[in-house]
Amino acid sequence: MSFSERLKADFSTMTLVLIPVAIAINIVIGQIVSLLKLPVYLDSIGTVLVGVLAGPWAGALTGVLSNTIWGLTIDPNALPWFPVALFIGLVAGLCANAGLFKTWWKVVISGLLIAIVAAIVSSFINVALYGGITASGSSFLTAYLMASGRGVIESVLATSFIFEPIDKVATALLAWFIIKGLSKRYVSRFPRAENA
Amino acid sequence: MPDNLSLYIERDSPLQRLNPLTKLAISFSLILIGFLGPGYWLATLLFICVLVPLSIWGKIGPEFLQRTVRLILPLALFLFVMQSLFYPGGRTVLWRFWIFSVKLEGVQFAYLTATRLMNMVGAFLLLLLSTHPSTLMTDLTRRGVSPSLTYILVSTLQIIPQMRNKANTIIDAQRSRGLETQGSVRARIGALLPLVGPLVFGSLVDVEERAIALEARAFKAKRVKTSLIHVPDSVRQRQVRIGLVVLTLVMIGIRLWPL
Amino acid sequence: MAIIAIQNLTYHYPQTTQPALQDLSFQVEEGEFVAVIGANGAGKSTLCYALTGFAPHFFRGEMSGQVLVAGLDTRHTPLEELMLVAGLVFQNPGNQISGAKFTVYEEIAFGLENLGVPPAEMRPRIDRIMALTGITDFANRSPYALSGGQQQRVALASILVMEPKLLVLDEPTSQLDPIGSREVFETIRAMSKQGMTVIMAEHKLEWVATFADRVIALANGEIILNGPPAEVLTSPLLIEHHIGQTRYTTVAKQAQAEQLWPPERALPVVIDEAEAGFRAYKK
Ligand SMILES: Nc1ncnc2c1ncn2[C@@H]1O[C@H](COP(=O)(O)OP(=O)(O)OP(=O)(O)O)[C@@H](O)[C@H]1O
Ligand SMILES: [Mg+2]
Repeated sequence: MSFSERLKADFSTMTLVLIPVAIAINIVIGQIVSLLKLPVYLDSIGTVLVGVLAGPWAGALTGVLSNTIWGLTIDPNALPWFPVALFIGLVAGLCANAGLFKTWWKVVISGLLIAIVAAIVSSFINVALYGGITASGSSFLTAYLMASGRGVIESVLATSFIFEPIDKVATALLAWFIIKGLSKRYVSRFPRAENA
Repeated sequence: MPDNLSLYIERDSPLQRLNPLTKLAISFSLILIGFLGPGYWLATLLFICVLVPLSIWGKIGPEFLQRTVRLILPLALFLFVMQSLFYPGGRTVLWRFWIFSVKLEGVQFAYLTATRLMNMVGAFLLLLLSTHPSTLMTDLTRRGVSPSLTYILVSTLQIIPQMRNKANTIIDAQRSRGLETQGSVRARIGALLPLVGPLVFGSLVDVEERAIALEARAFKAKRVKTSLIHVPDSVRQRQVRIGLVVLTLVMIGIRLWPL
Repeated sequence: MAIIAIQNLTYHYPQTTQPALQDLSFQVEEGEFVAVIGANGAGKSTLCYALTGFAPHFFRGEMSGQVLVAGLDTRHTPLEELMLVAGLVFQNPGNQISGAKFTVYEEIAFGLENLGVPPAEMRPRIDRIMALTGITDFANRSPYALSGGQQQRVALASILVMEPKLLVLDEPTSQLDPIGSREVFETIRAMSKQGMTVIMAEHKLEWVATFADRVIALANGEIILNGPPAEVLTSPLLIEHHIGQTRYTTVAKQAQAEQLWPPERALPVVIDEAEAGFRAYKK
């Protein structure tokens, strides 16, 4: 199947209707989680879900749109981070293509892979745009690391690698549980049903 | 709760009547110039000398300022605190207390970051407050943006408030059943699952029927789509857009290769 | 000429062994109002999907036999072309709002835009359909801000404006309150009176009895009865297959058992017949 045919198949009517729901899931769960003051974000469950069911490109689009809408309506600080969201969807889709969304321990690996990529991309944005200190709580740790003599990039990466894995593994597992909870016949309507 | 997430304010003004692509070009060139253009005060200048007058021209001045401030203020305060204390390049100590010291470089950098973000938020808000999403999408579709993409965007704007309404209903229901949204982390996670489960599964299950409904409206018909709304454009606006692209490139160029 | 001609239609959903529809054959003439009744899981919805091409195009699965709708063989005609001849309205009103539009007026225009109808032609068509379905007052409201019954009429209008030759309705009132149901039924009846062919899956048998020209009863994916309402709705097979009967039939049957109903008289399915029967007995 050529790339454009693959894209066309991925963006089926089911996918078009799923993406807005997935974005809403991201935003509503993300808001509830922050309301409950839990130590994670869990604001990309929908993105991972689309990555698995409709492929990396649909996942990437979900991430970008989710981030943009969150940024424009809730917290503008989210806007510059859209590449992170893009990569979360993309990597989730690629992991699913590689069969890493089939059993729970493979899902944990997917979560870790997503976390690594997310950490690298977000560190890059962090350093380029904020010089290492952003407007989020985890920056206290970065600041501490820098104060203890480590370089900016090192400190930022270290911080990301501490905070990302918990969140992303939890996200991947939750997305997987949701897919498991859906009926087989429903999941089979999606273009990448065989990845689930 | 509004029916959709649109920020559009209906006013009869020349800004409102501009073609959406022109406004999109204004917004994006302002954002790019703000981040990538030359000069410490550039973002501040853009906001005060371009965005604010444009918003007044669009008769949305007060709403524009109020929304921008409300979105940017908490973020800016946090940035100032964090960066003035911890900015890595900080040497010039302004004052110190306990183990902390506020450094000039940090304050300066925080100001730069905050104004750039304010410029970005303002540019987006100007577009969204003065443009109905349906006009924007119609125009983009006519210009060749995929109808699938515009469908996703518009549909998202409408679904989020639906989901929020449902989430609120569920939260209330859980509360009345005695499941608290306060308490220990364990308890809160315990409260989270029964709260979110039905919401997520319910909305996902609806996807199948909604896809059928979309097909039933010939969304996938292989025909050239038409549009109920006519979105006016002009040669003059086209020239302005080209001018904006050139200006953006020049400003970035000046930053990259200063004279 | 028959607008629907079904021959030996058997349909399996993917990965199922039991067919959802089994060896169906029937025809529907232009302008007819046909009701499809059956217990839960009898195959009513599946038949609606088969008539509009969603089975097999959307659901995939295996289909044998032939479904001709306005001369088009559903299996070999793409879904988007079938949508021009057969419109589908189903149960859940909220799920039929496209989400692509912000107002009711634009929502109804959505199908026409997709069909490439010139804008000048759209407005008169939309205005006419809105008047017909009684939603003119909501034109500028958000479709999400309406009641279930109003939403269902918007869904109906959105399909009707595309001017299909055939209207397929899958229990269009099952999720509505009595007032909403009545409004939707009246709208459907008005369409039928104007000559539209209507196929409606429905479990409210009292409505079926008043509306339908013909009733098809399904059980386990097979047609068990196909005939005029008075005949099908009084058949003992309905009870046997858990479809039920109209309350007038129930009352008259009970009366019959207690010798309170004229012995030679047919059982009633609408209130007027019931009344006439009891009056006749009194004489
Ligand atoms: N997508 C599907 N995949 C597999 N089997 C299905 C699917 N949809 C329905 N079925 C099965 O096909 C049979 C017919 O279902 P259908 O929905 O057509 O019945 P119905 O008469 O509409 O019932 P109801 O009154 O509950 O709406 C049932 O046994 C059902 O379980
Ligand atoms: Mg059904």
